[in-house]
Amino acid sequence: MATDSTAVGAIRNRGPLEGVRPAFDLIARQRVLFTILFLVVLPWLAPYKALAVNILIFGLFAMGFNLVYGYAGMLSFGHAALFGLGAYGCGVPIAKFGFPWYVALPLGVLIATTAGVVIGWFATRSRGIYFAMVTLALSQVVYYVVYQSIWLTGGEDGLRGVSVPSISLFGIAEFNLLDPTTKYYLILIIIILALWIFSRILASPFGAILEGLRENEKRAAACGYDVNRTRWFAFVLSSVFSGLAGALYAIHLSVVPIETLHYFTSAVVLMMTLLGGMGTFFGPFVGALVYLLLQDVVSVITVHWQLVVGCLFVLLILFFPRGIWGSLMHWLRI
Amino acid sequence: MTLDLFLLQLFTGLALGSIYVLVALGLSLIFGLLTIVNFAHGQFFMLGAYVGAFTLGFTGNFWLSLIVVPIVVGGIGMLCERFLVRPLYGRGIDYPLLLTYGLGLILLELVRIIAGTQGVPFNTPRLLAGAVDLHFFFFPKYRLFLIFATAVILLALWILLEKTSYGLIIRAGARDQEIVQVLGVDIGRVWLIVFGIGVAIAGIAGVLAAPIRGVFPEMGVPVLVEAFVVTVVGGMGSLLGAVIAGLLVGVTFSFTSFFYPEMATLSMFVLMALVLVFRPRGLFGRAGVLG
Amino acid sequence: MSTTPVIATEGVGKRFGGFRALSDVTVAFYSGRLTSIIGPNGAGKSTFFNVLSGAFPPSEGRVLFEGRDITGTPQHVFPHLGIAKSFQITNLFPQLTALENVRLAAQAMKSRFDIWTKRETLSELKEKAEDLLDRVGLSKRRNDLAANLAHGEQRSLEIAVALASDPKVLLLDEPTAGMSPEEARAMMDLILKLNEQCSVILVEHRMKLVMGISDRIIVLHHGQLLAEGTPDEIRNHDEVRRVYLGQSV
Repeated sequence: MATDSTAVGAIRNRGPLEGVRPAFDLIARQRVLFTILFLVVLPWLAPYKALAVNILIFGLFAMGFNLVYGYAGMLSFGHAALFGLGAYGCGVPIAKFGFPWYVALPLGVLIATTAGVVIGWFATRSRGIYFAMVTLALSQVVYYVVYQSIWLTGGEDGLRGVSVPSISLFGIAEFNLLDPTTKYYLILIIIILALWIFSRILASPFGAILEGLRENEKRAAACGYDVNRTRWFAFVLSSVFSGLAGALYAIHLSVVPIETLHYFTSAVVLMMTLLGGMGTFFGPFVGALVYLLLQDVVSVITVHWQLVVGCLFVLLILFFPRGIWGSLMHWLRI
Repeated sequence: MTLDLFLLQLFTGLALGSIYVLVALGLSLIFGLLTIVNFAHGQFFMLGAYVGAFTLGFTGNFWLSLIVVPIVVGGIGMLCERFLVRPLYGRGIDYPLLLTYGLGLILLELVRIIAGTQGVPFNTPRLLAGAVDLHFFFFPKYRLFLIFATAVILLALWILLEKTSYGLIIRAGARDQEIVQVLGVDIGRVWLIVFGIGVAIAGIAGVLAAPIRGVFPEMGVPVLVEAFVVTVVGGMGSLLGAVIAGLLVGVTFSFTSFFYPEMATLSMFVLMALVLVFRPRGLFGRAGVLG
Repeated sequence: MSTTPVIATEGVGKRFGGFRALSDVTVAFYSGRLTSIIGPNGAGKSTFFNVLSGAFPPSEGRVLFEGRDITGTPQHVFPHLGIAKSFQITNLFPQLTALENVRLAAQAMKSRFDIWTKRETLSELKEKAEDLLDRVGLSKRRNDLAANLAHGEQRSLEIAVALASDPKVLLLDEPTAGMSPEEARAMMDLILKLNEQCSVILVEHRMKLVMGISDRIIVLHHGQLLAEGTPDEIRNHDEVRRVYLGQSV
């Protein structure tokens, strides 16, 4: 996460990875650029395009979550509500009311953000362990309400008919969303925009406050920072990104499964962030990639994917709390 | 609303609340001493129901299963604490939480694999079937038994904590771990036992709830959320809070489902939201414990 | 001289459950002075400090700042009022550099929810941080992580961080804790110099250190105000002598 030269003064570990240090150093410093480069070539690396799109979407979802957990230090178990409301918030207008995508997408984000404001307000009134419990409980409320509103959301069967077959920009260009590659690169444009904004947030004065808050909350308060309000704001920002991911998900799948709101989805995004490395910029996408690839492979072998997830969780927590990218960064003392 | 109806709803709420009390109690006990939020707590509840169902199936004796369940579930819990949770002490407040979450997933899936996804039957024991005439209303015998059983467990726990030297160590350890260690107590052993007791109580709740809720793998999932709500309302780490809040949530649910059934499930969340607005630390929570 | 005290307490008491830490403490701190709060261990100095600095509200009584009642004001508002504090046990941002520690503290006065500007463009904050580090003598260590500083340097950094909010009142809780006699004397010199810019209230349990530099001294004992006056008055105070002579200071 170093953006200045603090790492330079540290004692270097002359280990086997020493040779690649300059490369990783460069990546860490030009993080947005490299993330974009990686994502541009991703469709050609992934086994199939739909998986690549999922990586984009869940990477964005995890990025939003990472803001709250990795950077602000709050463990949220309720991000499924933000993701799911983004999905339903975009999907329902399209499927039930015939809204065009360019209205439905921002609408989905808006609904998710509103939920973020409300859930965040209640949750940040209680910190530490309570936070996880309250976010879980409140997101279950959302799940329950959506589940019951069958007339609007399709309830248990999910929302169907979110079809956006093509996008025409200003009547000039027409893009066929049924073609996976086109879909991927269109979504990628939105993701890149989101990445850029996220990067700006981290580099802003607010980003510095989040760092401080994570380090020492008491000190931050003594300096004059309203800890609760800062956390609430971070949560709201996070819901913008996670909600956007949800909205894109609805368009990508053309359906919205009720599982998007289930608390297992909250666990999945947590898992991705942990896997990749919390508090790192690249981590969420690495985590999304590894998780989705793993799921793809394992699901062929066994139906008990949740068991694998559970074991993965336990192993990660016990032995690799920094995640893949985070551990790499740590070993290289970046 | 007549008095009869009021009392009926009240008692139904108390029976429902009894389950909440037991689950939240275990959770609070574990948190109070170990500072861990056991995200697998709902699955230990579920385990209790399954162990009870199998014991009942093998022996045909409900009372025996009430004895076997806490021993087995407590034992499993202690194994988990010793080998999975213990290594994480001191690593930060989130790690044990996350680990127990993963553990919960594993337990759930293992049960699905071993016992199937459809669930197993669990009939109300004949002795406790039927209703009893309480003058104002007829009340299911089993639910009355539930309230009674919970009271007995509470009493047993109270005696353990307040009247035995072991309970003294537990209470002291909850206040200040270092002192207890300096006094020569093996705090690891205490953690082990407390974790075991905490999940054992959840297990008993599971088998007690089985005739009413049924026994199936996902039964523990909503229980975790319910336990959290009760704990937030009552105050984390407070055993009295767990009791009062559990009964309060149960009674609230009961009355709401009479007047306004669709809102019944949401009523406990409304309660939680109110507590968060007006008294974020919970009714009996210690100020500054967490925030 | 202004007759409104910069900080005053009226009948302040504090209870922790069954334990009474402070009772009925009424004092006034006047602008420009260096006041020391002393007392034997367990006298309630830290509790009083915490009430003054906003860590928690008193159970009884009021705290006034420039005549306004600020009892119960949350901690984070204090620096914005003009009251800054340092902690007894060093409380910094360990994985941030010394410079960033101070810069972040200074930023609290300027920008708290800005998510768009690039941090570097707020160069006046960086300059201010450099200046403050210079004042406490830590310029050479500006790029070192706070966790890697020596204990005495960390205490100095605490002070720089507190100064970042341009306080009218600087509250210091045992600033020389854990320091060698030379370091402690250097710290006291620094504090004297700072007193030229702002009022200073400091808690100390080493009486000798504060005798020479304080304008006024407040003595607490068993949570109550025992004595208040100039160093000379305190030195000759019967009660104070009685309380202290039984202890090795």
